[in-house]
Amino acid sequence: MRIVVAEARVPFARDGAELHAQSLVAQLRLRAHDAESVALPFHGRKSELLEQACAWRMLNLSNSNAQPIDVLIATRFPTWFARHPRKVVWLMHQHRAAYDLYGTPYSDFTDSEDDVRLRGQITEMDSRMFAECERVLTNAQNTAARVQRFNGVAARALYHPPPIADRLHSGEHGDYLLLVSRLEPLKRVELAIRAMAHVAAPARLVIVGDGSQREALEREATQTGTADRITFAGARWGDAVADLYARALGVIYAPFDEDYGYVTIEAFLAARPVITATDSGGPLEFVRDGINGFICEPDAMALASAINRLAGDRSLAERLGRAGRSVAQTITWDGVIEQLIG
Amino acid sequence: MTPLRILILEAQVPFVHGGAEILVRELAAALAAGGHDAQVVSVPFQDYPKEELFAGAEAWRLLDVTKAAGGDVDLVIATKFPTYFARHPRKVLWLVHQHRAAYELCGTRFSDFSHTQRDVALRRRLIETDTRMLRECVGHFTIARTVSDRMLKYNAIASEALYNPPKLAGRLHGGPYGDYMLAVTRLEHVKRVDLTIDTFEKTASSLRLLIAGDGSIRRELREYIERRGLRDRVTLLGRVDDDRLIELYAACRAVLFAPYQEDYGYVTLEAFLSRKPVITASDSGGTLEFVVDGVNGYVCDPTPDALAAAVNRLGADPALAAALGDRGYGVAAAITWDHVVDRLVGAGTRTQRVRAAL
Repeated sequence: MRIVVAEARVPFARDGAELHAQSLVAQLRLRAHDAESVALPFHGRKSELLEQACAWRMLNLSNSNAQPIDVLIATRFPTWFARHPRKVVWLMHQHRAAYDLYGTPYSDFTDSEDDVRLRGQITEMDSRMFAECERVLTNAQNTAARVQRFNGVAARALYHPPPIADRLHSGEHGDYLLLVSRLEPLKRVELAIRAMAHVAAPARLVIVGDGSQREALEREATQTGTADRITFAGARWGDAVADLYARALGVIYAPFDEDYGYVTIEAFLAARPVITATDSGGPLEFVRDGINGFICEPDAMALASAINRLAGDRSLAERLGRAGRSVAQTITWDGVIEQLIG
Repeated sequence: MTPLRILILEAQVPFVHGGAEILVRELAAALAAGGHDAQVVSVPFQDYPKEELFAGAEAWRLLDVTKAAGGDVDLVIATKFPTYFARHPRKVLWLVHQHRAAYELCGTRFSDFSHTQRDVALRRRLIETDTRMLRECVGHFTIARTVSDRMLKYNAIASEALYNPPKLAGRLHGGPYGDYMLAVTRLEHVKRVDLTIDTFEKTASSLRLLIAGDGSIRRELREYIERRGLRDRVTLLGRVDDDRLIELYAACRAVLFAPYQEDYGYVTLEAFLSRKPVITASDSGGTLEFVVDGVNGYVCDPTPDALAAAVNRLGADPALAAALGDRGYGVAAAITWDHVVDRLVGAGTRTQRVRAAL
């Protein structure tokens, strides 16, 4: 089949959504489909949202160069505004600031009359677009629940393997906890840093990733007196990350209401237990407390106590990690593609 | 020069990968080599039904290309219709082409615009809107003089032809002036390969003709060669890889390239970078921007007899071929990506300085 995967990209940025779409294109091609991605530039600024949705609506992707395109797979706002007779949504992101993030510090929408109207418009138009689609799938149950709650559309979660799935492997459980994340407020990396103040040596924390909060987080480490046991490794890719997973004691992943989050699955594929929080969203679809990781209250003391349990008992870390791996191995690209276009 | 954040605007036709796509990626690489932070932004392009042309143009108009992750975009470079509909205070045009069906192709069998009231109005509106959008650009460049001539004729906008080196530029090299002429072409009617073959029926020279390339009329041409009894003199090589092509250029006596109204045509420059003269025809279009008769090749009437006379001259005199080829090299070597980058970026930043001064 000829398939277009529609994505929206912020120029000069790299984020998970881009990897998601590119992996899908690559996997479709591996299965002999003729797949290509279409990516319009995107900005999250409130004032531009409707224009950008409108730009997507202008695009008729039903054919290209006089040959029909069989399926259009839309991945995030506003790609589902494109025109095509057979649209499938595999939802990675709605514009969260207008949805679930509204009312939290992570949204730029206020309760002004303009913003309330804009949120209403986005919700209503998204709902109309979803109604045009043959099926609506999401990257996680958390996202599906949001679509149900805000747009009244029944959606099903469809998990996919992370981009580095094939590189992940497991090794000895070392003395460090690993945290892989963009350093942005929503990711709440400061929780793990504060937790380290209550964790006994020699346990260490390695933070992979970069972002706008890096300096603030480094300051936090200094102020809490944990700087000597925390390494900011910066952005790492591919095998460099896989090797860090392989020798970690466990993985800390406690963002606020994450959609899906590759990190849980990556940790499990490397047979590492995952420490997450009760309000972390996506990770809770996979982590079972005491079985393949720990689910804590979102505070530093609770995280610290979970870390201390792993640090004090390597065999526990091994057992939980193995249990995690069997969960992650059920997620395959064959399953994804069957559900999307089968 | 201060490094700039630059977006190159591309009209994407999903599942079609052609010359313009390569051009845009090479430009991105050249900008990066010049120390700039450059990325390509693509929006799918749809020309059927014709009304979709305006929808696609509108999409470009709605998108904001002035901002990106980490701040402002300093400069955008528009390439094809409708990328120049984008809004940016420093929009520089490097025009590959407009929507040709509404321009010079209108009235030929290559255009879907007919002489109905509706099509005529649509075409007029398209050209008018194009003109407005093109005028917004702070610098006007095209990939070849034919494209500049077209923009002057239809949109009354003057521009500078800014050539780019062919993809193989860094690898092509000279060599012996061997016993064959080379033609590098897709095998299509518009490339007039039959004229090239007919030339060898007329020539007194013992040179052979090797034709590299493939296309829809390969079989037809093979039969044509048989019928003319030229099997020993003319060989269809089919598609050849880059390494082989470089060697074919390096060891030929000269290159024969006489298409009908070519836009640009990398073949001329590839021949010159291999220090070979080019024999072309007076109606071949883009080749005439580089080939000067008797200086670095020959410009002939588009007839077998006229082309054969040029083949005879070079067939009899390898030293003449070498002298012409060396002069051709000088022309092609002056065409560099550095120059393209300087002109495009210069046009964008000059306005910035003028505005700052005001």
